[in-house]
Amino acid sequence: MFKRIWAIIQKEFIQIVRDRVTLAIICTMPMLQLLLFAYAIHMDVKHIRLVVADQSLDQASRTYLDAMVNSGYFDIVSTVSAPSDVIRTIDGGKALAGIIIPPDFAAHEMKKDARIMFLVDGSDPFSTQSAYNAATIVSQSFSTQLVFNTVNPAGAGATVQSLSGLDTHLRILYNPDLKDLWFIIPGMIAMLLQTQTIALTAAAVVRERETGTIEQILVSPIRPVELMIGKMAPNLLIAMFNMLSILLVGTIGFGVPFQGNILVFIGLALIYVFSGLGLGLLISTVSQNQRQTQQLMMMFSFVGMIVGGFIFPRYSMPLVIRLIGNLFPLTYFIPISRGIFTKGIGAVYLWDYILPLLVYDGVILFVAARLFRQRLD
Amino acid sequence: MHNRFRRIFTIVRKETIQLLRDRRTLIFILGLPMIELFLFAYAVTLSVNHIPTAVVDQSHDSRARDFINALQRSEYFDMKMVVANEQEIIQAIDSGQVKAGLVIPADFSAHIASGDANVLILLDGSDSFSVQSGYSAASAISQTYQLNLITEKVSKMGAGANSASSTLPVDTSFRVLYNPDMNDMIFVLPGIAAIILQVLAVGQSAMTVVRERELGTLEQIMVTPTRPIELMLGKLIPNMVLNLVVTVIILILGVFFFGMPFHGSVWLFFALAILFIISGIGLGLMISSVAKTQRQAQQMSMVLMLFSMLLTGVIYPRAPMPWIAQAIGSLIPLTYFIRISRGIITKGVGISLLWSDVVALIVYGVVVMIIASVSFKRRLD
Repeated sequence: MFKRIWAIIQKEFIQIVRDRVTLAIICTMPMLQLLLFAYAIHMDVKHIRLVVADQSLDQASRTYLDAMVNSGYFDIVSTVSAPSDVIRTIDGGKALAGIIIPPDFAAHEMKKDARIMFLVDGSDPFSTQSAYNAATIVSQSFSTQLVFNTVNPAGAGATVQSLSGLDTHLRILYNPDLKDLWFIIPGMIAMLLQTQTIALTAAAVVRERETGTIEQILVSPIRPVELMIGKMAPNLLIAMFNMLSILLVGTIGFGVPFQGNILVFIGLALIYVFSGLGLGLLISTVSQNQRQTQQLMMMFSFVGMIVGGFIFPRYSMPLVIRLIGNLFPLTYFIPISRGIFTKGIGAVYLWDYILPLLVYDGVILFVAARLFRQRLD
Repeated sequence: MHNRFRRIFTIVRKETIQLLRDRRTLIFILGLPMIELFLFAYAVTLSVNHIPTAVVDQSHDSRARDFINALQRSEYFDMKMVVANEQEIIQAIDSGQVKAGLVIPADFSAHIASGDANVLILLDGSDSFSVQSGYSAASAISQTYQLNLITEKVSKMGAGANSASSTLPVDTSFRVLYNPDMNDMIFVLPGIAAIILQVLAVGQSAMTVVRERELGTLEQIMVTPTRPIELMLGKLIPNMVLNLVVTVIILILGVFFFGMPFHGSVWLFFALAILFIISGIGLGLMISSVAKTQRQAQQMSMVLMLFSMLLTGVIYPRAPMPWIAQAIGSLIPLTYFIRISRGIITKGVGISLLWSDVVALIVYGVVVMIIASVSFKRRLD
């Protein structure tokens, strides 16, 4: 049995090494992607382009606008006079948010009935969220400050906190400075590994079928499971190389601290990588030609990215979507990666995710081998 | 010229027959985008509500309950569990049971009266989305709470009690244009539809030329008088029809099933969608001519899919990205079409505001088709 597996491994290995270009792409791509995506993605959108229609142009309205700009969330890119121009600017995409301050703002502020209209472009999801949240907080604290000033005109050493008697501390665990990279890298490693591993084996069986070499393998005494293991082994090496390279880029290149035990991480990553390779093999076995493989493979990595919790948190998804998410190994590895990498916790906390991954490995190998045999008859 | 059209038509016929014969692939092509649309439409939630939260309430008085209620009522936080101390909260966050924690120390009411009360809100910093939502929600809620306390105290002191200090001096009203209820579906669908279309267009055409090369049937085509650009056009047309069918299906589902409002002109949308599909297929054909094996073509289209997902503005906005990421994003047709799609569907704007993106798509389509033909010719020599 081992001799037969070994023979397949050798064959696969030779095939992989012979195609230098593909090998080079496979080995460097995940690293380059991590580099690029890590730089590119910003979770917290700042400097949102803002258009202003200030019809008061008095001290109070200027103070308000200053508060907006000073928050760092907004950059005033244009100033218009009519409220309709604000909407037109947003329509044209030159600004994502707009503020309309009606006439006599200062006077209304004294009478406590000043109104401000804040408009947000509702077609760009991320920016809308950030703009909405930032504007809420900024205008709320502006109002609070005003109330405070009228109550306490002398400003004798008092603060809003001391007056209200309550001080709220917000503490962000594991990532106190809210650094984007700390958020992104652990999930990104999980995501890139899944995309990569599915693609590595997706062509394995179907290509032999298409080029006809599968017949030659079939007349040999090799059994389906042995063939599957043989096809996975060299790819496992490549995937581990990818894993280590992106881990190095993430930790040393970007300086994201690795809080947990690196050996535990590598061990679990090995289990994870195996499941991705198995998924690729399964796709390869069920598809009749590489065009179908392409479709299925794209769908799996595409859907995995969305439902696996890499971008959007899983607890806010409906139950059906969460169940579908359970079909993707990524779903289990993201909590593992974030847990060990960012939180620094040990395997004891992570059993809920490790066990399904182990089961997944066994099941997928079995199913792939089984379907392979069925497709032969 | 007449012969040229005949040659193109012959290729179109061959490709159509091939497409129709392979039933399973056809079902995949038509079915998978729908599955993707359904999954994404339900899975993508931009405003994170109901963050699972653990509470430590060491006071058990009315003020503490008020504060907890204020958080709960906001619907941003779900009080999932009650624990005894801060360590247990951190443990619960460590193990992933909750994403946030709230600590209210003993004698909360008394401390508020004496002006030195503290609450602590902890957030799981490993889960970016929850942190973003949790952070802004928690600050806004506690600020409101503080403000209520101030006004309460002020009216108690009698100072300015008559001046209706329970209302804020400045009232900011928000209007979210095009999507007044901040409905996630409306945010997401125009972008999702665009990315599904591109994945399909590129994925399908990326396999065509390289497949013929791998199977050896390319030789047969090359001994015919067909020229590279004709071959490319012949392969483009049936794929385009297929993609248009998918576009129609996606739009019908989006509008009638998911209730996505379509504000702009449907005809303009289709005209520009054709343009987008052509540039997508052109990009795929280019990959197909450059790749040596189907495996390489797969790898390349996979990479392209990741780039499209993360760099074109479908999910993460492009504005804060560094120039190099923006430049790479500009090489993907989705970057232009996402603005067109959101512009027409969600904003309801006309072509006058979309000109630059339309021109970019036209230039793009022409350039990739030329590169595909040229690199195809070169690979033959």
